[in-house]
Amino acid sequence: MTFTVLKSIKVLNPKTSFNEISDVVVCSDKIFSICKDFKTEVSQQDKQINIYNCNGLTMSPGLIDMRVNIGKTENLTATQKIAAENGITSMVILPNQTPKLNNPSIIDHIKRQSENPNLTKVNIYGAATKDDQGLEMSEIGLMSEMGSIGFTNGNKSIKNSLVMRRLMSYAAMINRPIIQHAEDEDLSGLNKASTTLINGEMNEGEVSTRLGLIGIPSCAEVIIVERDIRLAKLTGASYHVAHISTRDSINVIREAKKIGLKVTCDTAPPYFALNETSLLSYNTAFKLSPPLRNEDDRLAVIEGIQDGTIDAIASDHRARSKDTKAQPFSAASVGASGIETLFLMTLELVHKKIIDLNKAISLLTINPANVLNMKKPSLEKDELADFIIFDENYPNVINQNNLKTSPTPFDQRKIKGKILGTYINGQATYINQILKDKIIK
Amino acid sequence: MNKLKKNKNDSFFSSAVKLSSNHLLAIEGMEKSEIQKLIERADYFANLDRHTNTKVLQGYVVLNVFFENSTRTRVSFELAARRLGAEVINISLINSSIKKGESLLDTASTLNAMRPDLLIVRHPHSGAPLLFADYLNCSIINAGDGRHEHPTQALLDALTIKRRVGYLEGLKISICGDIANSRVARSNIHLLTTMGAEVRCVAPCTLMPSNLENLGVKCFSNMKMGIRDADVVMLLRLQNERMTGTENPSEREYFKFFGLDEAKLALANSNAVIMHPGPMNRGVEIASALADDTNRSLIKTQVEMGVAVRMSIIEALNHTKNKMMKN
Repeated sequence: MTFTVLKSIKVLNPKTSFNEISDVVVCSDKIFSICKDFKTEVSQQDKQINIYNCNGLTMSPGLIDMRVNIGKTENLTATQKIAAENGITSMVILPNQTPKLNNPSIIDHIKRQSENPNLTKVNIYGAATKDDQGLEMSEIGLMSEMGSIGFTNGNKSIKNSLVMRRLMSYAAMINRPIIQHAEDEDLSGLNKASTTLINGEMNEGEVSTRLGLIGIPSCAEVIIVERDIRLAKLTGASYHVAHISTRDSINVIREAKKIGLKVTCDTAPPYFALNETSLLSYNTAFKLSPPLRNEDDRLAVIEGIQDGTIDAIASDHRARSKDTKAQPFSAASVGASGIETLFLMTLELVHKKIIDLNKAISLLTINPANVLNMKKPSLEKDELADFIIFDENYPNVINQNNLKTSPTPFDQRKIKGKILGTYINGQATYINQILKDKIIK
Repeated sequence: MNKLKKNKNDSFFSSAVKLSSNHLLAIEGMEKSEIQKLIERADYFANLDRHTNTKVLQGYVVLNVFFENSTRTRVSFELAARRLGAEVINISLINSSIKKGESLLDTASTLNAMRPDLLIVRHPHSGAPLLFADYLNCSIINAGDGRHEHPTQALLDALTIKRRVGYLEGLKISICGDIANSRVARSNIHLLTTMGAEVRCVAPCTLMPSNLENLGVKCFSNMKMGIRDADVVMLLRLQNERMTGTENPSEREYFKFFGLDEAKLALANSNAVIMHPGPMNRGVEIASALADDTNRSLIKTQVEMGVAVRMSIIEALNHTKNKMMKN
């Protein structure tokens, strides 16, 4: 039996509101003990014991990233590994892949393919409809038996109101949430079938006017959110809006929550850390969907995070090859990498005194678990040892050249914090040299 | 004789404009003094006898790379470069590189490997010339990018106005038509506001970009109000595909409300001049007779000034590069 002892580490456990410096002992895949002063003699008869001096470091449950796109050129296993190195012990992938994750056998296949006790756990959103037309419901019951934890059309909006109504009714029956990318595709000019000539590229406003890029009005988001909330009320479904980005949508969700509807939402770091002015140089790393909004929307996202209207922060990871980004803005691909910056950018909210650390960790752990009816991660005796160790004040700079996925919209951003270790099922999936050097025995 | 010629060229060279950049990508951000100098220099070229020897750029290689159809702009650039003695190669890449599956940057770096001094680029995507400037080491002139800018058009428009009216500051200039999709409008807005003109934009609400007033202009959806007392009425081309559909109901409705005719023009200053970047749709943006009214219409002068303005820019870019290399 191998024991790992983390001496004098600040344990942050949002589920129990525990926040104290303790000694944490991990044995096999469980947390063996969390106590004030762990006596090493107790286990001296055991064969191996690793003791780390974690003075000044913090431990929290492993992060749950509720929105990860696995692109055409990405390999799931590689992404799991990168996620683990960045503190994500559990992630949910979107169905927009080739082939589409729209039937039970492929869900089963991905589940099996991704199963690895030493890597980030993979959960799956099944495709809500069989194809992009969005007219026929997928076998969402069978897919949920295979482990799909929610249903969505990923990067596309579920557009048809009747289809949405029925999806919600059916999903409520099997107790699964519907996750929506809220965007009126006719209004944003992304509906290929329509006769409009536009193809929305960025948020509509002064910046789009200056750049001569086609604007997507911010109300394209709230139009869908408002409709869906009415349908959620009608059907009693759990409805979740992904990567929310505008003040209007956040206001609507706030009201829906007040009247007790099962409505939740998440946002992603670009929407609280950046605004549309980043695009002024036509830098395609900022070409995202939803597009970066104006400063007022960004502030609304921050308010939403503060007052709990926004339940969770997800990476919205959508890595893109350099080739598809080194293009004129209009021709460039949409999306940016996120799993490598999710934790650091969320921590930035703490350093900017927008939220406290406990709240930040909640947004990345128990909150997404709540939204998706997953088991709530907790750092307690006999709980599964999925956790991270980090230095919240480590001076750091996000540098594209040091990242494994691209493009990051946060290149050259000065931040504080660093993940030093990630444990999954009690195994050190990732240990940074800084932590390795802290080993006492 | 030879010596005399050389001396003449020397003095000619000394008044070339030095720019703050190696490229001409946009009017937005350009200094007033820089614009002024380019216009003055172009004015000088416009006054020169066409047969004056201005071949100071011998051995200078210009690639005219057009990813979009163009006749007047391409020919105008070519003439300007040739009058300066440069070698010009025209390359039309409409769909060709896309068909071959080559990326824009690969195309650009292939061209760059042939070591041109200057790349003149027209591209259907806003911002594309900026991408070229980031990756290539020759000078770039933006000859029109998507809906973004068409800086040489704005400079030639300014020269045309200046030669007719004498000044730009304080002039009331109404830009009318499809502002939303017009790079000509954007460059003109930046240039004319920088030079102190009072710029009004007139367009149906469906073709008016959002928050345009933040660029320092007044916006009108009523043309009669928009051109009242105007000194210059600048019309924009309405693309065929926008004449019917959801932006405009029909050509005739557009002409009724936004086409320039005698009645609307009567509201402008009695000396008001008419401009159009071409190619124009007679009977859509402008009544045919007005377009041909040589007293009011500067449309042909605009084309003529295009060559002079482009000479001044090409010369300035070469001059700027030489200065930068010396430093």
